[in-house]
Amino acid sequence: MFKNNLRIAIRQLTKNRTYALLNILGLAIGIAASLLIYRILRYELSFNQNFSNSERIVRVLTKTTGSENGDQTSRGLPIPGMAAIEQSISQFAHSTRLHEDWPTITIPKAGGGPPLKKISISQSEISFFAEPGFVKIFDLTWLAGNPETALNEVGDIVLTRRVAEFCFGKVENALEKTVVMNNNVPCIVRGVIEDLPSNCDFPIFTLASYETLRAYASLYFFREEEWGSISSNDQFFALLQDKNQFSAASSAMAQVGQHELNERKKKRNLHTSFVLQSLGDMHYDEEVGSAGTHTISWSRLWVLGTIGLLVLLMACFNFINLATALSTMRAREVGVRKALGSNRNSLIAQFMTETSLIVAFSLAVGVGLAFVCAPLLKHISDVPDTQPFLSDPILWLFLAVIGVLVTLLSGFYPSLVLSGFSPIKALRSNLTTAKGGGVSLRKILVVSQFTIAQALIIGAVVTISQLNYIREMDLGFNKDLVLTTRFNADSIGLTKLATMKQRLLQLPKVEYVSFSSDLPASGNTWSSNFNIDRRPEEPDFHTSVKLCDEDYQKTFGLEMLAGHWFTASDTVKEYVVNETMCRKLGMAPEEIVGKVFRLGGQSWFPIVGVVKDFHSHSLHEEYEALTLLPNKTFYSGIGIKIRPGDISGTTNAIRSVYDETFPEQVFESEFFDESIANFYESESRFSDFCKGIAALAILIGCLGLFGLATHAAARRTKEIGVRKVLGASVGNITGLLTRDFLALVLLAILIATPLAYYFMDKWLSDFVFRIDMKWWMFAMACSGAVLVAFFTVSFQSLKAALANPVNSLRTE
Amino acid sequence: MIELKDIERYFQTGSLKTYVLRYVTAKILEGEFVSIMGPSGAGKSTLLNIIGMLEEPTAGEYWFLGEGVHKFNERRRAEMYREYIGFVFQAYHLIDDLTVYENLEAPLIYKKVPSAERKSRIADLLDRFNIVAKKDLFPNQLSGGQQQLVGIARALIGRPKLILADEPTGNLQSQQAEEIMSIFQQLNKEEGVTIIQVTHSEENAGYGNRILNLKDGKIDA
Ligand SMILES: Nc1ncnc2c1ncn2[C@@H]1O[C@H](COP(=O)(O)OP(=O)(O)O)[C@@H](O)[C@H]1O
Ligand SMILES: [Mg+2]
Repeated sequence: MFKNNLRIAIRQLTKNRTYALLNILGLAIGIAASLLIYRILRYELSFNQNFSNSERIVRVLTKTTGSENGDQTSRGLPIPGMAAIEQSISQFAHSTRLHEDWPTITIPKAGGGPPLKKISISQSEISFFAEPGFVKIFDLTWLAGNPETALNEVGDIVLTRRVAEFCFGKVENALEKTVVMNNNVPCIVRGVIEDLPSNCDFPIFTLASYETLRAYASLYFFREEEWGSISSNDQFFALLQDKNQFSAASSAMAQVGQHELNERKKKRNLHTSFVLQSLGDMHYDEEVGSAGTHTISWSRLWVLGTIGLLVLLMACFNFINLATALSTMRAREVGVRKALGSNRNSLIAQFMTETSLIVAFSLAVGVGLAFVCAPLLKHISDVPDTQPFLSDPILWLFLAVIGVLVTLLSGFYPSLVLSGFSPIKALRSNLTTAKGGGVSLRKILVVSQFTIAQALIIGAVVTISQLNYIREMDLGFNKDLVLTTRFNADSIGLTKLATMKQRLLQLPKVEYVSFSSDLPASGNTWSSNFNIDRRPEEPDFHTSVKLCDEDYQKTFGLEMLAGHWFTASDTVKEYVVNETMCRKLGMAPEEIVGKVFRLGGQSWFPIVGVVKDFHSHSLHEEYEALTLLPNKTFYSGIGIKIRPGDISGTTNAIRSVYDETFPEQVFESEFFDESIANFYESESRFSDFCKGIAALAILIGCLGLFGLATHAAARRTKEIGVRKVLGASVGNITGLLTRDFLALVLLAILIATPLAYYFMDKWLSDFVFRIDMKWWMFAMACSGAVLVAFFTVSFQSLKAALANPVNSLRTE
Repeated sequence: MIELKDIERYFQTGSLKTYVLRYVTAKILEGEFVSIMGPSGAGKSTLLNIIGMLEEPTAGEYWFLGEGVHKFNERRRAEMYREYIGFVFQAYHLIDDLTVYENLEAPLIYKKVPSAERKSRIADLLDRFNIVAKKDLFPNQLSGGQQQLVGIARALIGRPKLILADEPTGNLQSQQAEEIMSIFQQLNKEEGVTIIQVTHSEENAGYGNRILNLKDGKIDA
């Protein structure tokens, strides 16, 4: 019975080849797209699950509420706050302070001279100074060494496999060897751990003991007693004794350090406190961020998931539509079969066999497509090629569910309708009357499908415009032709900076050279309390801080609004603040110049200039109050403004100056505009993703329309023939066939436009700097859809209109 | 009005040519009522289709109102249907989605007849064929005879000079057939419409004034 059904099913499909092909292709594309999106979601949702205690791991954040800019949360904590937390929270089984660092590791040559080997941390990695609690909280895979004692003493360091193998060839050779961190800190390798997986927000390069940080406090500008200074480099993680203690620990946490955190701001309702966040939420907190390569907000994940679902839904509607459309052509066959004694159930079985066959084909093609396209994902997402795909059991479950659902939905309806026909009716009816109730369902499906497509296209147009706007926005600084590189310098190294600058400036193409702690746009945050004009109470907001030298303004092309940049000095003698600082203090730029200013608890110095706002962090954020000051000991970056022409020659010349100044360090340079581009990579990828989705929406929509137009033309051949002998022109016939579809597409546009407007308005409101939705975005999306739909449909209609009517009019 | 010269028509199946019409030469004058007769498969429908410009002969010449039909393109043919030719089919071929009224209106819309005139013309014909009460019904709500009345009304509504009817009464009972034939006769006599019909029945052929006998693809004189 089944074999017989299958044979007939295969015959049916080969007979209706175009239909089968369209159907398989449409569904396969939808399935492939949703599988790829599933892959992204699966990857992002798998973050930090590699730690067996992940449900009990928490981190502490510093949160300030009541400011007019909304709540502000940082992953950085004041160091004395950590001590207070350790003393007051009883629910923590283990805890660790962390200090982020980006070290260079060298193997010193016995007796001095250039090191035997050197390796620098890459952009996507992180190193920590960590307490012994770290290894209790995060279960790392230990390849060598004793985890219990590996981070106890000054100079203890743990390497990852990659670093150990680079330095010593084999993991086993690394133990108890000496390496030098940051060219200054001699360390002994106490352990080697396995490299961490990519879906983990701890892409560790090396771990050094916290005692090392304390011992080299001055090198790392580490001050244990400052409550007012909060740096995102200093973080705190802990392991709950029991995951159910989260709320108890949270309420205890709310009390910690209340006096110290809030003593300076008695004004208004501004309030700072420590809050607990579970590890499970870390990867999805875009505001706070993590030490990992990226975070992704829940809303972004929801958008992705919804898009995946919508595309799949479109493809399914499409499929159901084509399947029901075709089945109505078989009313006569059903009548004959029934007259021959076939019962309803066997007819249903026949139809279901056909449907499931075609669904199975589509699934196979879809998986194949997804598999082939999977490597392309890295251009639009963070998913690495190593992410398992076909070996993921949930993927197969997902496929099975899609398969069963689509088969039932698209097979059951037509088979019920058709098998329910009375044989006389089915036999007597000519093709047109057999359409029965199917027509309204089909119209609903076409409209829904096009509504989805239209909404996706509008969404894509708005998203792409917004992201372009962000990328092309005036950043407030000049990012072109600035070469940047980093260095690690101890006090001896710092003495070489002046000579280095002189030598660089002697190069013909070098215009300006500037040393600083940070580039104008960087992800680092360092904020501090401050006072101005010896006010009795400090202002109730923090200022971001950037440390830089006297040439920073010229190198990065910052614009002055009042006063001048500070003059050359190794330590702070003068301050420059930004426009937002003036605005928040309610003072004019001219007014603020000359006022005395104090950062944290340091000495008072005058403000000498006001710089125009530039983007110091992500473009998602508003401008922050910013203070710029010189402090040579913090410098770790070089910006070199060069003149156009012979860029590679200049870069080489700069490299040789660098190598001579810091022979033990690795010269790694990047043009500033490239690093800015990296900074907005996620935006630019998302923009590409949207383009792809829009194209897909159009493609699937058109496949569906094409199929339906083919079907409509076939269903109406007789009518077309009759109309032609009544004198209808080709234009008349094409119009007749096209009009119906265009009406549906227009209806879809009518529904989709306000929906898309509503959701895109919500999406845009997340951006501080955003575009207004313009009528042309909608017009563009709509006219695009109408045009494409028109061409798709009229191709088939024109073919039908040009056909010779004689065949359809013969009566034999 | 119609001049056929050595019309030949074959169908090619593989390398095999099956001749349906051969050396068909005929002249039909304006105002004639011609019946084409012959056994089943003789090529009657094919000949009528050629006259109706639905098919092209594989050889021979066809002149319609002094013009060579072989020069006609798609647009000119549509023009012919609008201006000169009305078809009546054995299977009626009404448009199922349209009411009787709308079926009658369709050719007038293609002729770009203004709406007021459309109304009066349709009202006239409905009245003349006694089907006013049916005007809002769909074809499948009518009997075969009624459908064919609508079919003829539709062929007439554009006021053609030539009516081509392929076994118009083939599906009808004799009483209905008589009614249809007398309508044809009346049209031919009173309005001078040229009629060419295909029929099997001697009786029906009797309504006309000339018979073309088709046998083995040739016309028996
Ligand atoms: N498209 C076609 N292909 C092949 N043979 C055809 C085609 N149309 C008609 N014929 C053949 O031409 C012959 C004449 O057909 P037709 O003109 O319909 O005959 P009649 O109307 O006299 O019964 C028949 O034998 C028929 O099989
Ligand atoms: Mg015939």
